[in-house]
Amino acid sequence: MVGTVLLNETYKRFILLWSYKFDFLTQTFMIGFLFIGISFFISGGSPDPERMAPALLGYLIWFFAVAAMSDMSWGIREETQTGTLEQMYMSPLPSGLLLAGRSVASLAWSSMIVSLVGGILLLLLGIRIPIRLGGVPIFLLTIAGLYGFAFILGGATLLFKQVESLANLLQNMLLFLNGSFLTVEQMPSWLEIAARTLPTTQGIVVLRRVVLDGSSLTTVWQDGSLPWLVIHSTFYLLVGWSVFLWCEHLARKRGILGQY
Amino acid sequence: MNAAIEIESLSKLYRRRNGDDIHAVRPLHLAVAPGQVFCFLGSNGAGKTTTIKMACGLVIPTTGTVRLNGYDVRKQRGQAMQQIGAVLEGTRNIYWRMNAWQNLIYFGRLKGVPSGKLLKTRAEALLRELDLWERRKDAVREFSRGMQQKVAIAAALITDPPIVLLDEPTLGLDVKASRTVQTWIEQLTKERGKTVVLTTHQLDMAENLCDRVAIMSQGRLLANRPIAELLALFRQEFYQVRVRAPIKPEAVELFPGFVASQENGHTVLSGALSDDLTVFDLAARARRVGLDLVSIAQAEPNLEEVFVELVDQAEQLASETTPQPMVQ
Repeated sequence: MVGTVLLNETYKRFILLWSYKFDFLTQTFMIGFLFIGISFFISGGSPDPERMAPALLGYLIWFFAVAAMSDMSWGIREETQTGTLEQMYMSPLPSGLLLAGRSVASLAWSSMIVSLVGGILLLLLGIRIPIRLGGVPIFLLTIAGLYGFAFILGGATLLFKQVESLANLLQNMLLFLNGSFLTVEQMPSWLEIAARTLPTTQGIVVLRRVVLDGSSLTTVWQDGSLPWLVIHSTFYLLVGWSVFLWCEHLARKRGILGQY
Repeated sequence: MNAAIEIESLSKLYRRRNGDDIHAVRPLHLAVAPGQVFCFLGSNGAGKTTTIKMACGLVIPTTGTVRLNGYDVRKQRGQAMQQIGAVLEGTRNIYWRMNAWQNLIYFGRLKGVPSGKLLKTRAEALLRELDLWERRKDAVREFSRGMQQKVAIAAALITDPPIVLLDEPTLGLDVKASRTVQTWIEQLTKERGKTVVLTTHQLDMAENLCDRVAIMSQGRLLANRPIAELLALFRQEFYQVRVRAPIKPEAVELFPGFVASQENGHTVLSGALSDDLTVFDLAARARRVGLDLVSIAQAEPNLEEVFVELVDQAEQLASETTPQPMVQ
């Protein structure tokens, strides 16, 4: 059953994506162009490939955040307007499972764009990011926390409908505060505290250490950065999941699940 | 025989921020027998859509239960949802950027039909029945409104549910498309034995299609009867006063609740007698103002006249007191 749900949501996602081919290409170009633009800007016109590797890693994680948050705000609102959200809630399958399926489909879609954009940027800018298996669990933990955060936004969409502005604000905040271009240690202490509470920041810190610096999982576990990521992501995932289900319950109680 | 749908003490109360209560649905009890076409009639805000959405599990009731083929919508949600297919009002219900085939496959899986031969066979049969097979690979957004509605109904039927809920299924459709949908609803019950519950503002459609109607107003159930019984009940109250030549509007006002129309050079006043108006009063009033009376006869009311009469009475009563169901 889980497999069918995941397959079905991914099937829908890719069909809809294909129907928006032009948007997809524009978005892909925009993401690549934005990274190049920011990199040139902050390096005074001569970006150093070695220094850009950590920035690119953080930037690509930020794109996963953008995709997850867009899906949970704009995506849910669009489905409310078209009535397909109510059809989804008339499924005999548990809504939590459908939410998980939706998230996996969103992740599959954003992974495709990230692979494409990341690959082009690596080639174009001569950046080298080594492939290390140790990065996989760190990536998954980061993504889990990120989706937890997006679920909160999804819950808010079910109740308040128009949360795109909030989603845009959060996406921009994440870009500049998640340590992609400016590491958190370089921020003023008050901003560093705020930045560290954001869902992707700790993931990016640990991911860089494992993938770029070559630290082992044991090392990042022993120095406390991995346990902190585990706590951070678990917290966001559990809170986000609970908030979404609570908002869904409230929306049904208020009779506004299908309203927009 | 067990009811396909059992509604017991079902109500929905919304509380506004200023503390005002809105009774979207007042305690409602009704049962729909299997294989029936059951119709909810009512003005906007009568509570029809809220009732349907509570039956679909999309709105949590304030009190009461809905059982679909014996399964409680809240306590046995999974099994209850397997009993229904629904097309809701005012929305697309399907993905317009996907084609008809993709929609049916997606919704089939979403609603628990195992992927594979069964799903594909059902999708093909539905699309062929609806004359959409040749255009199954076209995006639904390229279809006419009527065809889009047919795909939405097909998506609701992909699980072959015993109960079909249709909220305003012909809303926004042209006459031809509306007829196609009506014919299909008829086939669903007669040929496939489905129970169909629908809401509509098209009273002629309800009269032609439904076995039983429930009339709602301001969240209250005013009537719940087979159509023939409901019309018979009102037959005794409905009269037609036939007068030679057109009459002045002031004269029409002497017959409260009656509506004037022209027929073969005569003016026909049609309406229901109220408690303080008898047939003799009608004749006396006609004579008093010098109308050339041709006949006064009991008339066969249609569903529209019964609906208007009931809703008017309910609104009048509601402004005076809290009424009980009027025709049960």
